[in-house]
Amino acid sequence: MDVFGSFTLLLAFVCAVYAFVGGIAAIITRHPLLVKSTRQAGIATCVLIFIGTFSLEYLLFSDNFSQAYVVSHSNRDLSTFYKIAALWSGQEGSLLFWSFLLAVYVISVLIAYRHKNGELMPYVGVILAGVQIFFLTLNNFVESPFRTLAAVNASGALEPFVRMDGNGLNPLLQYPEMVIHPPNLYAGYTGFTIPFAFALAALLARYPGEKWIHLTRKWTMIAWCFQSIGILLGAHWAYAVLGWGGYWGWDPVENASLLPWLTGTAFLHSVMMQEKRGMMKVWNVWLVFCTFLLCIMGTFLTRSGVVSSVHAFANSQIGPWFVSFMLLTLVVCFVAYVKNHDYLKSENQLDSMISRESSFLFNNLLFLVACIAVLSGTLFPVFTEWFTPSRISVGAPFFNKIMIPIGLAILFLTGVGPLLAWRKTSTDSLKRNFTWPLVAGALSAVLAYVLEYRNAVSLVCLSLCGFVFWTIVMEFYRGAKVIAARSGMSLMMSAHELAMRNTRRYGGYVVHFGMVLIFIGLAGSAFNTDVQKTMNLGESMKLGPYTLVLQSADTKPEKNYTAERMIVEVMKGNKQLMMLYPEKRAFQGRDQQNGTMVAIYSTLREDVYVVFAGMDPETNLPVIHAFLNPLVKWIWLGGVWVVMGTLLALMPNRRAALVIAGATQPAASAVAPALNPSVTLRDGHD
Amino acid sequence: MIKPRNLFALALVVVLGVLPLIAQQQQADRVKAIGGKFLCMCGCGQILTQCNHVGCTMSAGMLKELGQWVNRGDSEATITQAFVQEFGTTVYAEPPKTGFSLIAWAMPVIYFVVGAVLVLFVISKWRKRPQAAGVDAAAPVTASGVKISQEAMERGRAKAARETED
Repeated sequence: MDVFGSFTLLLAFVCAVYAFVGGIAAIITRHPLLVKSTRQAGIATCVLIFIGTFSLEYLLFSDNFSQAYVVSHSNRDLSTFYKIAALWSGQEGSLLFWSFLLAVYVISVLIAYRHKNGELMPYVGVILAGVQIFFLTLNNFVESPFRTLAAVNASGALEPFVRMDGNGLNPLLQYPEMVIHPPNLYAGYTGFTIPFAFALAALLARYPGEKWIHLTRKWTMIAWCFQSIGILLGAHWAYAVLGWGGYWGWDPVENASLLPWLTGTAFLHSVMMQEKRGMMKVWNVWLVFCTFLLCIMGTFLTRSGVVSSVHAFANSQIGPWFVSFMLLTLVVCFVAYVKNHDYLKSENQLDSMISRESSFLFNNLLFLVACIAVLSGTLFPVFTEWFTPSRISVGAPFFNKIMIPIGLAILFLTGVGPLLAWRKTSTDSLKRNFTWPLVAGALSAVLAYVLEYRNAVSLVCLSLCGFVFWTIVMEFYRGAKVIAARSGMSLMMSAHELAMRNTRRYGGYVVHFGMVLIFIGLAGSAFNTDVQKTMNLGESMKLGPYTLVLQSADTKPEKNYTAERMIVEVMKGNKQLMMLYPEKRAFQGRDQQNGTMVAIYSTLREDVYVVFAGMDPETNLPVIHAFLNPLVKWIWLGGVWVVMGTLLALMPNRRAALVIAGATQPAASAVAPALNPSVTLRDGHD
Repeated sequence: MIKPRNLFALALVVVLGVLPLIAQQQQADRVKAIGGKFLCMCGCGQILTQCNHVGCTMSAGMLKELGQWVNRGDSEATITQAFVQEFGTTVYAEPPKTGFSLIAWAMPVIYFVVGAVLVLFVISKWRKRPQAAGVDAAAPVTASGVKISQEAMERGRAKAARETED
């Protein structure tokens, strides 16, 4: 199977090269057969990558310990669930997984548009094939996952051998979220290849600049959604597994995942400027180029060993490959832009400083500043090594100080943007739109103070959350009121109808609501407290309003590990709330590595987060480290709303369906004006 | 009735009993505050006082050292110097605001200021533009210096519309 897998990847490489070279020839000659054959080569590349990936999974499932990758990342007792995850737990496998997810996107695009966009698709196919060639080069010639174990025998020749068992999967990865977090993050990284390919293709094909935006809107949102889910799951994994009481440590690998998310978010906003006003075409093209390059850079940072991280893969020699690819991509983008930038001519014109357009410009400025600040902070230790004799670390305190003001400013604009009209906002409109949100913001601050969230930054954050929340409520309320008045539906049903008629806009507001919840959760982090105590059985410790009693301890043998478990009772006053079971796990294989399993009692107000920190070497008694983390649950709830909002935004508008049905439904034309409440509410507002 | 002398003795006992506890708490707070300014040197990249990952070979020793220095009454500067001497400048959780490291702090501010100036410049430039730009004035210039007419742009748009579907 290893030879088969290796062969399929080699064949995939050949097909990708044909799709690339043949695609260029097809663009030049416009020969229909050549166009068709290169498209089919592109599809064949993807199918072969799928087969190669399944071959590696087969080797993992069949415990083929003649394979170096299987030995390094699996063992016989590893559960089926985690054998799937073993695919992306090592450098070679994760690069193959990158190719696999990219192939899923590529084959979807090639099949979905096989009868569409005839002139543009050869360009898109060539660009996608180019990206695939890069990753297949790594899969085949640099970090092949199909390597047979071999040792030098007595006669000096290499002789294959088989190990009895493997080293097992890294204990940190043996957690359910690790089976879904990396695929989501990678799906985000790889997904941005599609808008990149269309943007570059449209530029090379000299399309005036609007069309690629329409074509890639959904692909961009899908990639952004996966990236968001991946980041949040990663944060939750860090919270539940690493046991340090936090969810975001500004680790270089975490930062690497945030960078394309920031530019991708900026793009999702600025794209509206192009769609509504024909502005910022050059900016949008470069935002997509940068987002793709940051995805590659994120992958490079994780794998090259340039920056040290607890999440990073083992150091390898792939760094120069990534740098070369990024430089080549940058050169291609730059040349394409210089040659064809005339076709990106925008109708940039502003009527007023106080307008939706201005708010988008500042929104983009803040996202870009955030991105560059995180990037330069992440790479600063490398720069210091170049220019000074010593390396200087840049840790969480630096990023917190830099990013908190930027985050609050972005939150403020999240509320301001929807209140401003396109083109120009009158003073009357400003007064009318801002009064209640500002009141809500002030009341939120008072409420936060009364609830004892008395920290300046947290108060500002919670106040802004109230402000933004109210703008969202107002947007729904005003639109729903119009529909309710015309249709006689209830306000709730009207709000639902409203959202379904303009899914993108109201899906966006739902995403904003999710972000508000996330910011509420972040505001709580200023009040985290913790207590660490060496405890005897029956002993208790105080943690805020809670009392933790160490009731007993036991040992729980499992198939792949043995858990040493503390049984901790959580009490509030005299009321027993629940039992928590923080664990320390000793895994088989892999030098008997240990792992933690945090136990959390989670409520909307706070999390009681209990870690079994090991045995005290002097007393040989268990050490319990307990944290009281307020409002953390809001972050995960916010994440759910962000995903729901994105899914809503991806749905087709109900209005469009009615217009299509209008051919046989004469009433539809009469209904249509009433279906766009934004026109009724504010001229040009959307 | 309690005699004043006894009351004084009782108060003294309470104060003497409580004071060490307060001092202990203050020292623990100081360890936490100072420890928050350093990284654990095991390579995990976490703040020293937050690093408790299983198998960490460094944080316990570093915290013990820090506790000893704090108990001895060493100043923060002295402790920082000792840690830097022992582990190098990588022990800082954030770059010091001196020398080359100052660049790390200055860069985000510079990005923002330059970006804000650019945005304001762009807004003022776009505001000055006429409502409906003339065809020739708006006509873009190609790399070779030849202007693309509005019709050519419209032809391009029509081509894009013809050749693509959402």
